[in-house]
Amino acid sequence: MNVITRGVRNAFRNQVRSFSIIVILGLSIGLSLAMLIAHQAVGQKIDSVKASVGNTVTIQPAGFSGFSQVNNALSSSQLDKVKSVAHVNGLAEELTDRLPTTGSSLPSFGGRDAGSGSTTSLTSPVKLNVNGNGPAGGAKLFIGSGDSLPTNFSPPVSFLGTTDPTSVNGTNLTITSGKAIDGSVDGNNALISSAMASKNNLKVGSTFTAYNTALTVAGIYSTSSQGVNNTVIVSLPAEQRLSGQSGDITNAIATIDSLDNLNAATTAIKNTLGSSADVTSSIEQADQTVQPLNNVKSISLYSLIGAVVAGAVIILLTMVMIVRERRREIGVLKAIGGSNAKVMAQFVTEAVTLTVCGAVIGIALGVVAGNPITHLLVTDSNNPSPGGPGGFARAAGPVIRRGFGGGLRGDLSSIHASVGWSIILYGLGAALVIAVVGSAMASFFIAKVRPAEVMRAE
Amino acid sequence: MLKVNDLSKIFESGDLQVAAVNGISFSVPEGQFASIVGRSGSGKTTLLSLLGGLDKPTSGSITIDGQDISQLGDHALIGYRCRTIGFVFQGYNLVPNLTALENVQLPMEFAGLPKAQRQPRAAELLEQVGLTADKQQRKPGRLSGGEQQRVAIARALANKPKLILADEPTGNLDSQTGKMIFDLLHGLAKSQNTTIIVVTHDLEIAGKTDKTFRLKDGKLQKK
Repeated sequence: MNVITRGVRNAFRNQVRSFSIIVILGLSIGLSLAMLIAHQAVGQKIDSVKASVGNTVTIQPAGFSGFSQVNNALSSSQLDKVKSVAHVNGLAEELTDRLPTTGSSLPSFGGRDAGSGSTTSLTSPVKLNVNGNGPAGGAKLFIGSGDSLPTNFSPPVSFLGTTDPTSVNGTNLTITSGKAIDGSVDGNNALISSAMASKNNLKVGSTFTAYNTALTVAGIYSTSSQGVNNTVIVSLPAEQRLSGQSGDITNAIATIDSLDNLNAATTAIKNTLGSSADVTSSIEQADQTVQPLNNVKSISLYSLIGAVVAGAVIILLTMVMIVRERRREIGVLKAIGGSNAKVMAQFVTEAVTLTVCGAVIGIALGVVAGNPITHLLVTDSNNPSPGGPGGFARAAGPVIRRGFGGGLRGDLSSIHASVGWSIILYGLGAALVIAVVGSAMASFFIAKVRPAEVMRAE
Repeated sequence: MLKVNDLSKIFESGDLQVAAVNGISFSVPEGQFASIVGRSGSGKTTLLSLLGGLDKPTSGSITIDGQDISQLGDHALIGYRCRTIGFVFQGYNLVPNLTALENVQLPMEFAGLPKAQRQPRAAELLEQVGLTADKQQRKPGRLSGGEQQRVAIARALANKPKLILADEPTGNLDSQTGKMIFDLLHGLAKSQNTTIIVVTHDLEIAGKTDKTFRLKDGKLQKK
């Protein structure tokens, strides 16, 4: 029997209390580990997203959002000035629109698709997951309580007129059949996705209608993005002609010669276009995109600190209570020759024993719960608050709060938290910190116990 | 030889000063069995605390074998309590989750005695105070009051102290058991040449000791 053995045995002196303390400590350490796992996973995701951004600058009409009515579209003459800005290597210009399927009804959206009167013969290949009730992997659509979709609702089809038909939203397209189109030449040729082709029984050379005009499928591309699957690509002059928006541009992407010049070029473009355009670099876009993840990272960090502090407070109060209960015993130990250090060592061992037992439970809990908690935090952070802007449609009638979020945002939810030895070591480290902090106050009280008190208590 | 010279302990409470022990002088030769009697509040426990190095006197000296313990620092006092003094308390004060054998080993552990030597010595001491082997593995809760006090006496003897201080050692025991414990202490004083000072209310017990001191209001009145 020595100080360590005595301390370990004392930890289980009151078994019910010890069990309760160990469980509470286990929960505290488990939560802190789960938060650490989430913190690391989200941090890695943010780093990977930022590392993957290119050296591009996006230019949109000021205040333009999604498919809002374009009253202040950018003009080709404005963007010509951008081409002459230093370090700008190239400029892809786009005009976007969205058409409902002929014969379908849409909720009362604001924007062109609500009021232009144009339709298309195409049916969207997008599978809808309305309020979580739909096919797994389908585009999520949240509808406000009491609202409903029209019975003959079909998701509208996106049309993209672009000078660079080789990529959409930064995603390079792979043409699987047919050939690419020339983005600078006006013509009634279009590129459609393989999903769109399959849904509408189309192949290269087939025709479909849009804007009351017959368009020919020039090529079929493949992509894994739901949003891009739903997009028909035509040349910019064609889209401007078909949609009656001659000279209008809703989106332009400038490619900068190097990442080092990105900030300088972004500033120069802003100065060139003034208040008529919103100019954001790919880094700024990445920052905006990962903002929800940054929030999760902050929340997980604060929760981690909170859980460790809670654990330390629990063990601290427990040890203070134990020391107060055993004041006489401490006095006796000192009276028969025990030094402060030896008595403290016994109580610190007791605290460490409780904490290590809690850590074992906590590590197991953390390892099991780390991934689900990370997923829950990330999923919640990506759900916009009620009434917030939606990507699919703006609320005007029935509230559709979220639409086809786009590839990047969807990718943000796919975070896998890995649990390595470092996490377990962190867990044991946290337990050690908790035990030391928890024992500190107890040690102070032990040092204050005077052995003479045991005589007076007789 | 224990020698106490003009010993005082004054407690301060605000502006009020209380002399729990007030200018006491006495001596007890080695191997003698002495008793201190007095009413509650007469200063018996304070005197015992001072003799045991649990508290420091306000003035005066306590000399054991030529060493003045009133001059010792805190660290040296721990060593003094560990090696020179054995305590026996009225309420036994055994550690409840340790067996009788383990309780007796505690002072030896504090004194740094190797583990291999502690257990045989503890068992020997428990045999000496009359606790059979089967009871040595029991925790205090499974021992009678008399048996617990025997364990406490064995613990007090663990480091072969020069002085054993017993505070009402028979106070919680019935008269028959109390007499047995008293006889045990008395026998130890003689057989091991250990000085024993007992604080007691029991005048019958006090009458059987080699020397009796009566305390009243912190002052000594030799009987």
